[in-house]
Amino acid sequence: MKKHKNKIIAGVIIAIVFAFIFWYGGDAPGLRGWTPESKDDVTVVQNDEPTKEEIKEAEKAISDIPVKEENAPATEENKPQKQDKAPMTSAEKIAMAKKIAESTQGSAEETTFSAEIKQSNDEYSKEQGMVINEVTGKDPYKTNPVPEGKPVPIEPENAVITDKALTCTLSVRCDTILQNLGWLDGEKVDLVPKDGVIFATKTVTFYEGESVFNVLVREMKRNKIHMEFENIPIYNSAYIEGIANLYEFDCGELSGWMYKVNDWFPNYGSSRYQLKAGDKVEWVYSCDLGNDVGGHYAARNGR
Amino acid sequence: MQKVFHHEKELNFKMSEFKTYHPIVNFTYFVFVIGFSCFFMHPACLGISLACGFTYSVMLKGKKQVKTNLIYMFPMLLMMALINPAFNHEGVTIVTYLPSGNPLTLESIIYGLCAAVMIVSVICHFSCYNEIMTSDKFIYLFGKIIPAMSLIISMTLRFVPKFAAQLKVVANAQRCMGRDVSNGSLIKRAKSGLNILSVMTTWSLENAIETADSMKARGYGNPGRTAFSIFTFDKRDKKALICILLLGIYTLLGNIMGGMYFRFFPSMKIAKVSVFGISVFFAYLLLCVCPIIIELWEVRKWKALRSKI
Repeated sequence: MKKHKNKIIAGVIIAIVFAFIFWYGGDAPGLRGWTPESKDDVTVVQNDEPTKEEIKEAEKAISDIPVKEENAPATEENKPQKQDKAPMTSAEKIAMAKKIAESTQGSAEETTFSAEIKQSNDEYSKEQGMVINEVTGKDPYKTNPVPEGKPVPIEPENAVITDKALTCTLSVRCDTILQNLGWLDGEKVDLVPKDGVIFATKTVTFYEGESVFNVLVREMKRNKIHMEFENIPIYNSAYIEGIANLYEFDCGELSGWMYKVNDWFPNYGSSRYQLKAGDKVEWVYSCDLGNDVGGHYAARNGR
Repeated sequence: MQKVFHHEKELNFKMSEFKTYHPIVNFTYFVFVIGFSCFFMHPACLGISLACGFTYSVMLKGKKQVKTNLIYMFPMLLMMALINPAFNHEGVTIVTYLPSGNPLTLESIIYGLCAAVMIVSVICHFSCYNEIMTSDKFIYLFGKIIPAMSLIISMTLRFVPKFAAQLKVVANAQRCMGRDVSNGSLIKRAKSGLNILSVMTTWSLENAIETADSMKARGYGNPGRTAFSIFTFDKRDKKALICILLLGIYTLLGNIMGGMYFRFFPSMKIAKVSVFGISVFFAYLLLCVCPIIIELWEVRKWKALRSKI
C-alpha cells in the first residue's frame, strides 16, 4: 500500500482534473451550466444536459409562444430586444427545435411556412442530372437529392461562366445574434450592427454561370467587408467561416453562416449553387443549427 | 597578479553568479519566467521577455551567443510572420487580398510576429536554463519525490547539448582517420557524414541505457537512500527567493486581473493605461532581470573588493 501511495495520489489528481474539464466543457457561457448574468448561484452545479422534466417544462412554455415568421426581416416593431429577453436555455432550445421540426414534418400542408419545404425527390433529382449512389442515396459529394422544383448542384469546375451580365439580390444579416447576445463572444459584441444588417438587400450584377459563392466573394471584396472561407474537398464547395469577423461558433457552439436562395436553404454548398437571373440570395447567421432562421431542414441535409 | 588578470578576463566573458544560488531559487525563477513567456501574449511582455532572455543568454555564454541567437531568430520570425496570415484571415484591417480570395489582415500578421517572438524568447530562456539548472540540481530537487521522472527529464533536457559536444569529439576522431566531412567528393563526404551519424546514434542509445543502469546500480530512487549535495540555503538565497516569489505572484495576479489585457482579434485592443497596469509590467520586468541584476551586482562587488587590495 505504502509503495503505491504516489501512484494512487497521481491517479486521483488526474481523475479530478478530468472531472473538472468534463463539467466545464462547452463553448458558450450559457451552455456551461451557468449564465453569465447570474453569477451568484454558480455554487449550484447544473448539468449541461437538460433533464426530461426540464424539456417538458420548456416545451410547455414555448407552446404558448406562437411560432414567429422566421424569415421576417427585423422591422422597427419586431426588432429584437436584448435587454428584457434572456437567452434561451439549452432545454428550451432543444424543445424549440423539436417543435419546429414536428410542425414541418407532421403536418406539412398546415402552415404556409412549412409548405415551402418539400421532401427531397429522387426521380426529380436524377432527371435533372444529379448522380445518386444507389447504396448511400447521395451524390458523390454527400448531398441528398434536392426537393422537386429546386435546382440541383452544379460543380464549380463544370460551370461555364459567360460574359452575359445578369442581376440578383444579395443581403447579409445576423439578426439572431441580437437575440442571443448572452452567448456571443465578448470580444465581438461591438462588431454586431444595431439592426443586424451587415449588407443591406441590394441588386448586384453577376455573370451567367456563376455561383452564390462567387457573388458573395466579389461583393464582400467590393464593399470592403471581411469574409473568410475554406474550400472543403469532400463537399466540393467553399465553406463560409466568417463574415465581418463574425465567425462560426462565435455565438454558441451551434452557430454559423447559412444561405438561402428564394427562401430555400439548399442542402449543398454555395459554390455548387448556380444563380439564375432575379434570384434572391440571403446570407443569415444562425445560433442554433438553422432552427432560428428556418433552415433546420438544411442542417439535416434535406431530410 | 597574473591570476587575477586571468580571472577578470573570464568574468567579462561569462558570468555565473546566479548559478551558485540554491537550486530552488534557480528553479523558481525559470518556472515563472518560462511559464510567463509561454502565456503572456501582450507585445510589451514579449518585448521584456525577449530582451531579458537574449541579454542573459549572451551574458552566460559569451559574445558568440549573439550570432547563434540571431541565426535561428530571423528565419523563424520571418517564417512565422508569413505562415500565420496564410492560414488565419481574421481581423478588421484588410491589407490586401490573397490569390485564393481570402483577405490578408494586419491583425494576423502582427499575431504571427508575436507568436514568433514568443517562441524565440522561450528558446532563449531555455538556453539559459540549460546553463544554470544542471542535471545534478534538478535531481537534487526532484530525485526524492519523482525519481524515475526526474531522471528522464534531466536526461532529455541534457540530450541536445551533450549530443552536440559528443558530435564534435566523434567528428574530430573521424577526421584523424581521414574521413572528413569537409574533404573529398560529394559522395565521399556524405558517406563519412552518415558514418558519424551512425556512430552518434549508437552512442546516444548506449549512453542512455548506461546512465539508467548506473543510477540503478547505485540504488537511485530506493527509499532510505541519501544523496550528497553541496547546496546550502543561506540568507542570500532566502532574499532572492522571496523577491522572485513576490514578483512572480504579483505578475500572475496582475495578469489574471486584466492588467496585461491585449486582444488581437477581431481588432487590436489594449488595456487602459493605469498605475496598476504599469506596476504589473514593471514587476514582470524586475522578475525577468533578477539574475542579470545579481550578476552585475557581483561584478561591481568584485571590482570594489579588488581595488581595496
